[in-house]
This record gives sequence, C-alpha cells and structure tokens, in this order.
Amino acid sequence: MSIVTVQLGQCGNQIGFEVFDALFSDSHCPQGLCSKRENEAYQASCKERFFSEEENGVPIARAVLVDMEPKVINQTLSKAAHSGRWKYDQHSCFCQKQGSGNNWAYGYSVHGPRHKESIMDLIQKEVEKCDSLSGFFIIMSMAGGTGSGLGAFVTQNLQDQYSNSLKMNQIIWPYGTGEVIVQNYNSILTLSHLYRSSDALLVHENDAIHKICAKLMNIKQISFRDINQVLAHQLGSVFQPTYSGEGSWHYRRNPLGIDWQVRPPLSGLPTLSKMSTNKEFHFNTSIANLVILRGKDVHSADVGAFKDPALYTSWLEPVHAFSVWKTQRAFSKYEKSAALVSNSQFLVKPLDVTVGKAWNMFASKAYIHQYTKFGIEEEDFLDSFTLLEQVIASYCNL
Amino acid sequence: MGRRRRCRVGPEDATRALPEAIAALSRTLPVGPSPEIFRRAKFDCPEAAPALWRLLFRVLSPGPADGASASLSLEAQARWVKSALHSQGYPSRALAQLPDNGSQGSRQLLLALAWLLARGPLLEQLLAQGRVRLGDEMPVCECEALANPGPPAPGVEEVSGVDVRHLQWLMGKLRFRWRNLMASQQEQCALLGQIHLYTRGCHSNRSLGHLSVTETELLRDPEGGRQLLQRLESENARLEAALEWRRRQLVFWRWMDTVLGACPPEATFLPRIHEPGARALEPVARELHALREQLRGAVEARRAAGAAGAGDRRPEWSAARRALRQAVGQDLAALQRAWERGGGLTQPHGPHRLVRMEAGAPRGPGLRAPEVIEALRTQEAHLEAVLRRLQGQCRRELARLARALPGLIWIPPPGR
Repeated sequence: MSIVTVQLGQCGNQIGFEVFDALFSDSHCPQGLCSKRENEAYQASCKERFFSEEENGVPIARAVLVDMEPKVINQTLSKAAHSGRWKYDQHSCFCQKQGSGNNWAYGYSVHGPRHKESIMDLIQKEVEKCDSLSGFFIIMSMAGGTGSGLGAFVTQNLQDQYSNSLKMNQIIWPYGTGEVIVQNYNSILTLSHLYRSSDALLVHENDAIHKICAKLMNIKQISFRDINQVLAHQLGSVFQPTYSGEGSWHYRRNPLGIDWQVRPPLSGLPTLSKMSTNKEFHFNTSIANLVILRGKDVHSADVGAFKDPALYTSWLEPVHAFSVWKTQRAFSKYEKSAALVSNSQFLVKPLDVTVGKAWNMFASKAYIHQYTKFGIEEEDFLDSFTLLEQVIASYCNL
Repeated sequence: MGRRRRCRVGPEDATRALPEAIAALSRTLPVGPSPEIFRRAKFDCPEAAPALWRLLFRVLSPGPADGASASLSLEAQARWVKSALHSQGYPSRALAQLPDNGSQGSRQLLLALAWLLARGPLLEQLLAQGRVRLGDEMPVCECEALANPGPPAPGVEEVSGVDVRHLQWLMGKLRFRWRNLMASQQEQCALLGQIHLYTRGCHSNRSLGHLSVTETELLRDPEGGRQLLQRLESENARLEAALEWRRRQLVFWRWMDTVLGACPPEATFLPRIHEPGARALEPVARELHALREQLRGAVEARRAAGAAGAGDRRPEWSAARRALRQAVGQDLAALQRAWERGGGLTQPHGPHRLVRMEAGAPRGPGLRAPEVIEALRTQEAHLEAVLRRLQGQCRRELARLARALPGLIWIPPPGR
C-alpha cells in the first residue's frame, strides 16, 4: 500500500526531503535490534510505501514537487541525487518562474486553476506507478503564499478526483511572531478550506519544535534545517511500518481527524450530558490517542496510563479512543522510542489566538484588498471564521 | 449408514427407514443433529432443544458460518432465530413464546425446521452456500445480501441515550473502513489481473484458459491441494446424503404428521400439510378464482355503464382516457424499473467466476464485464438520485424545524 507525497512550496519541499531522507536512513539502518527476516520485511514495507524501483536500483521517492519558484526545487532535487542513495523523479516536478508573494488568494485563485491540469497529471502519473494506492500525504505550510493557497486548492482537487483515497495534510504552524503580516489571514483560510477536503490534519508548530531544538537538543544556532530534521524524525517514527492489531503493515490514519463537526445545540432541547467543568482546566481531553512504540521491550511496555477514562471524552470509551502500534525493530538507532499522535484540545489555544488576531485585522478590513483583488471575497473570510469558531467550540465542549 | 440398494421392503426395513431418512437429512444439513435428537424432540424433551436452536440459527443465517456469529451465546442465537422465523412468516405463536435461554421447545423447533424444509428449496440453498469454489468469483448483484440481513454483531447492545457525537464518530469510522475496503479491493483486482495474465494457457479447460488463485495455489503447495481434496470429498458426501434424503423423505413427512398430532391444538396454526405443496391449498385456490370472477363481472358492468352514459362526450373522453392510460403505463414501467434492481441483467444472480479473455476471442457463456459495469452504473445512478432526493427532504425538514424556533441562527455544515 503506497503513499504519494505532494510537497508544496519552499516549506513543503524542504521538509519533504528531510522526511524521505529520514525514512530511507532508518530503513537501511544496520542495527535494527531484530532478526534479519524482520528487518527485511520492515525494509520491504517501507520501500513499497514511499519509494518505487528504478532500473539501476536507486529508489525513487513517490513524490510530486510543486513550487512557484525553481530555486528550492532544484536544491531539493540535487541534494537527493547527490546522496546517491535515493532520489526524486526529475519529471515529477512542477515549478514556474515567479513566486506568489505570500498571497494566499493568488495561490488559490490564480496559480491553482492555471496549473491544475499539469499538477494533477503529475500526481496521476505517480499514482499509476503504485500497485495499490493507500492515500496522499500533502506537506505544506499554513501561512505562506504558495504552499498554503495552492495547497488548499490541490487538496480540494484531490478530494474531487480521488474521493475514495485518504488524504492527510501535514501543516506547519508558523511562529507566533512570524514575519508575514497576513499570516493569520492565510492560516484561517487554509485551515477552513482544508477542513472541508482533507481527512486528517497533522499539525507541527514551529514554536514547539524550536523549543525542542533549544532545550532538549541544546542547539545554539537553530536553523530551519534543524527544525526540519526534528520534524522529519517525528514523522518518520510515525510512518514507518508497525504491527497493528489487525495485521501487519497497514498504513493507518487517525480516523477521527478534523472532519468531525458539531452544531450548537438548539435551544429548548436538553443539552448534552454534563461534564465536570473543572476537567478542562486540569486535563487536556482527547478524542483519540495513538502511541507508537519501537525498539527493545515493546511487548512488555505498560501503556495503562493512557487508558484512563479521564483523558477522553465522555462519549467515547478508552478502548475505542486509544490504540497502540508496536514493532521490535528500532527506529533510527534509538534503542527505544515512542511517539504520540493525539487528537485533542491541545491545539485549541493556538487556534483561538490565531483566529482572534485574524478577526481583529478583519474588523478593520486591513489588507483585505489583496485578497478581494483575486477573488477571495469577504464572505469567504466570514465562512472561514464561522467554521473555525465551530471547530473551537466543538473541541472546547469535549 | 451407507447407501444400500433395496430390492424389497421388509418389516425390519420399515423400522430402519425412518432413522436412515433422518440421518440422511442430518448429513445434508450443516451441524445436523443426530436422529436421536429428532426422536427426543418429538416428545418435547428439553435436552434436544439447544442442538435444534443452533441448527436453526445456522440454517437461517445468510452466508457461510463465521467465527463471530458462531460465538454468539445460545440466548442470542435463540432470540435471533425467533425474529428470523417471524420475518419469514412462520405462523406459530408458540415458538415465539418459548424462553430465550434455549432450554425448551424442541418439538416446536422440529416443526419449524419441517416448515422451512417444506416451504422452499432450503437444502439446495444451503448446499449452494457451502460450495467449494475453484474459480475467482465476484458477485454481480446484491440481492442475497439485501434480502437477508445477518445476525447482529456480538456485543451490540441497546443503549438508552446516545450522544450524537458518538454517532458522528461512528460514521467517520465507517467511512474510513469503507475507503480502506475500496483500496484493498482495487489492490486485489490488480493482483488478480496479474495472476490471470501470467497463467494464460495453463488451464486444461480451454474455455477458461488461465488459472484462478485457488488453482495456482493447488499447483504451488501440495498441502493446500490435500486440504482442497478433503473439502471436495466432504462436499461430495453432503451431496450424496442430499440425494439419499430425496429418496427417503416420504417416511420423514409421515412421521412429522405424528409429531404435529402430538402437539396440543392451537388456533393460529395452519392446517396440516400432508405433502409439501398440494392439497391444502385447493380451497384457497378455489376462493381466489371465485373472487377473480366476481371482480371481472363488476368491471364489465362498470365499463358498460360508463360507455352508455357518456355517449355524447366520447371523443374527448377517449382522448383523455388514452392520455391517462399512457401516463399510468409510464408510471408502472418506471416503478418496474425501479424495482428491478438488475437494471436489465437477464443472467442469473449470484457470484460469477472471473475469466480473462483475449481481445478477439469468441464469446463464451456468461456475462461480459462491460455489460455488468453498465448495469451497475445504472443502479448507482438510480441510488444516487434517491440519496439526493432524501437528503433534500432532510434538509428541508431541518430548515422547517429551525424556522419554528425563533431567535435561532441556522448554520448549515460546510458541504462535503
């Protein structure tokens, strides 16, 4: 079951490279801490998922690279080819000569429709190379120009054309004190559009990863490369093969993703069952948690603490909300590693802050003309605000 | 109990005939109980009840037995059997009143089994279900699955109040599983295509031309071949038992009469059926015929009266009538099309073996893939139209409800 990755914009392409590199290095890591047969199965599964075979034996990443400028794509292509271990397909790239100036509307309404056929063709070619398509993984930033607007457009088209396939978007949450002044507008537009067409949104905050680099890894001068590598490491430990309860090597996704909507209760009807209000202050309530364990002693690991019902909403039993994936094969030379993927209230605060800032700007109509110039009207903004407020309310009411 | 040719029926043969008939029946049925159980059931012995409950459960469940339904408790199985019999129109109330724990009622269960056997080709259906399939098969219609919903999944219980979010979560989970299924099916199709392509020319049967997965496995793995042989042998044994049952069943039905006689009389039970089908229905048929004649007479009288009284307005009337008849005809045709799930498929329903043909090859018997695809597309379009209509109704109803509550802001969900 193969996954086709779509790397969008500068952010998407740089991260995408690191992810493939991390996956490849891990799968060819000699010290797997498991039997040879196990290691071979692991390698084969990783390879089938993310790489396709070429005549001279160099694996080719199952990826489509898209950017409006040629610089980053060329860098990415050459970095991969230079390593000699794996590479990208030269033909699976799409770029233009000019950028989009961090304008979401330009990316969504102009670049998107103009280049839709070429991009979808490239994706179709990658899909045809797969024996069986498991889904799409789209890497993009939330607040930039190309990545975000075009990414939203591309995801929508994937939803239309491949409605039966799963799509997961990896979005990069910008620094709170970011440089792009309209980043909050871009964020809310991206999120609201992706909410409608994607199956799952996997969020990484730049601020959070920055803290990891500074505090846990003690890096003095944190570059984007460091951040991307941490991110890739995290993603790799989630994406590499594991055994799930129902059989081996499924590509699993959190089914509870963001396409979960709740309408405000109609007045006059009894409200939903009460939850103790102090819960929200003490616990971060989750809809679902997934723990992935790799390496030594996985079978004896105790994950009982994750099954505490207090961690989860009242309408879902921990047995449904919590899953564990395990494999003895160690990841990337770490003797033991664990990763947690969580669909919880963790993101409510950053989302609320972003929406609040965007709303304040919108109230004074600042910079709106940049968007209306290219077809994103005020109604679209209002729709986005409504949707995101609903999401925030739903998560708060967990 | 083997087959034995009987040249004449002696007195000891008569006493053996019944147990042998029941034994043949039991060998034909899946999980068939011993003749002793049948005998005890006639006298309503409680120890015969569980085996008969389980037999009825197995017989009434659609599709092959799987671990999940077999693991249902006796109580759950008994409840399901009762509801399945009821939905099939079983007339006796006494069975519905039996306790759920499966401890009683063996005579009633025996009567129910006989009713099922008499009613339709039950054994043939069971044998068809359990057939050993050598080819790669694919269903072309959903008739079986739709007509007979299976037993409930174990562990499903009635809950008094359900959080709507839980329902939404379940819907999401269902959608997710559905998509996984689609992806797996596509993978399976691709792989089947490869196997069929690679094994071209290997099959001894020229009209098939290539091997199926089972046949390929047969060649690769001798252990698998042995297991297949065992399955074929046991299927043969069941078929032979079925033939033997066919020859001997008269004895069984005569005995069932005595079982029925042993029952206390019950007002809701249908009159006794001596042979499957025939004589008891005759008075009913006569009544039906009489009613039909009456109806015909009434219609003629009406028509004559109508024609006589409308002499001067005949031209417009006949035009109007023709238009009406046309409209009714169209409606009926549309209704028929809507009911005909096959959308034009004239071949029999049920699974078909997949055979890959070369482009110019002469056409063999059976369906062609483009025809099936066309028929399925028609069905899909029809179902989508129905879905859209129902969704529209739902939306309008919700909007109406929202309007009824003042001060409420109605935010429809973002389209999907």
